[in-house]
This record gives sequence, structure tokens and C-alpha cells, in this order.
Amino acid sequence: MNVHAASGDTWGISGPTFLRYYIAAAILVVAIAAYYRIRLLTAPAHNTLDPLGPQQVAYLNGGPQLAVHAALGGLRGSGAVGVRPDRRLTTGGAPPTGLTPLDQAIHWAAHQHSRVRDLPRDERVRTALDQIRNGLEQRGLLTDDAQRARARFWSMILFALLGLGVLRLVSGLFSGRPVGYLLLTLVPLLTITLVLRRAPMLTRAGRTALRSVRREHTHLAPASAPAYATYGLAGAAMGVALFGTASLWALDPGFAEQAEIQRQAASGGGWTGGSDGSSGGGDSSGGDGGSSCGGGGGGCGGGGGCGG
Amino acid sequence: MRGRRRVRRMTGPSGVGIGWRPEIAGFVAELPGLRFVEVVAEGVPASGPLPPGLTQLRDRAVTVVPHGVRLSLGGAEPVDPARVAHLAAVAQRLDAPLVSEHIAFVRAGGLEAGHLLPLPRSREAVDAVCANVARAQAELPVPIALEPIAALLDWPDDELDEADFLTEILDRTGALLLLDVANVHANARNRGADPLALLDRLPLERVAYAHVAGGSERGGFYHDTHTDPVPAAVLELVGALCARRRPPALLLERDGHYPPAAELRAELDALASAAGFPAVT
Repeated sequence: MNVHAASGDTWGISGPTFLRYYIAAAILVVAIAAYYRIRLLTAPAHNTLDPLGPQQVAYLNGGPQLAVHAALGGLRGSGAVGVRPDRRLTTGGAPPTGLTPLDQAIHWAAHQHSRVRDLPRDERVRTALDQIRNGLEQRGLLTDDAQRARARFWSMILFALLGLGVLRLVSGLFSGRPVGYLLLTLVPLLTITLVLRRAPMLTRAGRTALRSVRREHTHLAPASAPAYATYGLAGAAMGVALFGTASLWALDPGFAEQAEIQRQAASGGGWTGGSDGSSGGGDSSGGDGGSSCGGGGGGCGGGGGCGG
Repeated sequence: MRGRRRVRRMTGPSGVGIGWRPEIAGFVAELPGLRFVEVVAEGVPASGPLPPGLTQLRDRAVTVVPHGVRLSLGGAEPVDPARVAHLAAVAQRLDAPLVSEHIAFVRAGGLEAGHLLPLPRSREAVDAVCANVARAQAELPVPIALEPIAALLDWPDDELDEADFLTEILDRTGALLLLDVANVHANARNRGADPLALLDRLPLERVAYAHVAGGSERGGFYHDTHTDPVPAAVLELVGALCARRRPPALLLERDGHYPPAAELRAELDALASAAGFPAVT
């Protein structure tokens, strides 16, 4: 019917012509976005047999914030760190031996009477967190910043393309042109765009590693009321790493309250993009925007908003 | 015989074991030499997934014995068939070689006491216990071991002494004995009696395994708390028991106020060395 590119064509381009180019462009962009997405998830893993420590596990599970809380759990368990009535940290006794760089940085910050919520911004703490992050990236468990930026860039292009299609659809509707095929193209494109929207922090290997650590430590789940005195500092730190600050509250409610640590159960699927909460560690406070994003250089990206 | 399906049943309890509790499941899981644990039967579901820690132990072929605490075998009324069925189901699920329960009552006239109460040692009580044990035995797939409980004082109308009371029940029911060494210590200590005299009169060849727990002295009485370390006197009594006739297995009961792992391991080691069993840690 619209074989003749008549003056009535939206934007002066006939429907079939637009659709042809549009579909071609969509296939191309989806392919590129999917390629980067897969590369992101399957970063080359440097196999090592070193088991993951509680702070590394916490970083995978809840980002820098949870790593800080896990370290605090260990330090608190040993009595090396306390909290003053003015809600600032303080140190008690000599620092225990065998501290990780993050422990040392937090111990130092506590010595300076820092507040818990300021810890992630403390310079030494940040350096120690970056160290953990680099280690996890090298092991192929955490996605790399540059690759995540690339994946996000292509998902933005996908969004733009979707926006263009929607614009055409709306103009077509207003001028009474047939839009059925365009609509049929847009629906799957929207689905794919939503799937590729997020650039996850964890690689596939990272998620697997986290799941296996969680399986090995089910006895630390808050439901078992774990005896932290028996499990020791490593147990306390791993409890927080895997099951969130709810474990810190169970370990020492007085400290957790005074230090203004949010009571939160960690989600099952890992840090950000934790869409597959398969292991079900409890309800992960719906909006993961709050604490997890900010720290990791850009975090969630432009995801949600657009809409076209 | 060929082709007959054999039920895989664990061997009887042996060596030093520990009471499995969810709070210390991670500790128990890491005891390399462990062959035997006991689990509170009412805490194990009759269907649905088992606690993961227990599944792991079963995979390691560790013997798991369900220990009932709510059957009320000493009650005047017949045991609740639903509770017996649960105990039987749990024994089946865990491939347990036996189950254990207390010679005590936890409810009477429809009222729940919430804890284990001692029976008067009368002929009537013996009859009541034997009738209930027989009812339970009829439904249970495995033998039952009976555990006498501690009492701070004797009932005024006791017709039998402790040893006669137990021997009578065991003889009439054919049940095994679960001897609580800390209870023997507590009973003797609180009544000024000699624990060794009781050991000498008990049918030690019927002991399936023995309980050992910690306690504390308060107000001139010894309390079998299960939340304190095992005192030296109880360990000595373990030694004296083993010198007479060593039970196949000893089980450390700890029900709260859990100490650091090193202390708990030291308790298990002390128990093993008092009994001459290999260390499980």
C-alpha cells in the first residue's frame, strides 16, 4: 500500500525502508552489546587455590561497604575496636596480629575516632579496598571498570535505538500510518534492552565462587543462631560477609546500634546486578541503589530512567 | 536372600561424640575423627530438607542418634502416638542405629511442664514407664536407650532405690541404658551419696552410650547446667566408669554459652583421654 514513497510518510521515509534499516541496526547493536556483555561475564580467570578471605567474600557479596562491615565484625569480635557514646569508633588494647591491610586501615581510623559511615571515604581504607578489588579482578571474579564502561556504552546505544523506534511509532500513530510491524520489532528489542541494561559487578566465576563459599558456611546463617564465640573472629567476619550486617547485629547488638550500622540481610546473588537471588539469603532490601552503587566508580549507570 | 533390599543402617555409637546443635554445626563439621553425634529429635523435621550440617555428617557416615526430650515416657497417661511416630520417622531418616529418651515426665493431666520431671521410684511408676516404653518400642524401627534424669531430692514414697528402679525397667522392657555421668555425679553430690556405689550396682553391660556434661556449684548444690565446662570430678567419674566397664561411646552435651573452639576441643580431648578413646579433634 505504501509502495510509493508518498509525502505522507513519517519523516519522509517509507515504512518498509525504515523497518529494514531499523532491524538491521538493532541486530548489529544487540550483537555488539551481547558480545561485550558475555566478555564481561567471562573475564579470564587466574586460577589460584587460595581460599577467599572474609573481606574478599564481603566485597563480592556487597561491595566495599560490606567489606568494611566484615572487617569491623572481626575487629569487634576481638575487642580491638569499640564505639564511644558519641557514636565514634575507638580502639581498645593492642591490635591483634595477622590483620589484613583493611583491618589495619580501619583500626587506624578507629584510633582517630572516625565514624563507621565515614570509613569508606577514609584514604587508607580506600587504598585497602582498592587492593581487595584489584585482587578480585585479577582472579577474574569481579568485572573490570573499562569493560563495564564499554558494556554500559553499548546498552546506552541500545536504549537510544529503542527511543528512536518509539518516536517513530508515536509519530506514525499520530499521522495514522500502519505501525504493526514496527511494534512487533520494538517489543523484543525492549526485552533485550532490559536484559542487557545492567553491567554486573560479578563475573560468572565470581558468582560461582560466592555460591560455593555460601554453601560451605551455611552454619553461619543467622537462622542457626551461630555461636560466634566458638567460630572465632574469622567466623564472625565471614558471617557478616555472607549474611550481611544482620550477622553483626547478632554478634554484638550494642556495638552495631551505637555505631549506626544498618541492619541488613545480604542478598543471594552478589553485589549489584544481583538479579538471580537464587541462594535466598533473605530479602535484600529492594532498592539496591542505596549503599552498593556509589563506591564502585559509577555503579548502576543510567539504567532505569530513560524509558524512551 | 539375594536381591533383598538391605536398609543401610549406621553402626552403633562409638568413641567420643558431641551433641549436634545448629549453633555449633560448623564446629562439629570440622572434627576430623568424629564418628558419632546425637541430635535433639524434636528439632529434626520428619519430612522436608534436613539441616545441611546433618546431611553432611550422614554423608561422612557419622552415626546420628535422635535424642527425644518430649515423649514423657514417665507420664501416667499413654505416650502420644504422634510423638512416637515422629521419633520413628526421624530415626528412619537418619538411619539411626537406636534412639534415646528420658525416664521422666514432661506433662501430666494435659499440662506441659516445659522440662523433664523426675518420677517417684515406686512400683506403680515402674509399671507406667514399662507400659509406655513397650508402646514406643512397638512403633520404633530401632532399639531405644533410656536415660534416667537428675533429681535434687528424692520423693518421700520411694519404694526402690535408683539402681533397682533402673534395673527393673531395663529388665522388663529390654531397653538399653543411656547413662548420664554428670547426673550420677549430681545426684550423689547433692544427696551426700557415693557415686561409685551406684555405678557398681547398675547393669553397665546394658549401656549404649553415656552422656557427659558440664555444670556448676550454686548454693551448696551441683547443677547439671550443660552450659559450663565439665568439672574434674565428672571426668574422674568417667574414668571410674570406664575402669569398671567402658561404654561403647561417650557424648559431650553442651547446650549453650558455647566457648571458643579451642576450649570445646580441649573438653573433647579430656573426655577421650579419661576414657582411653582416640581423640576426635
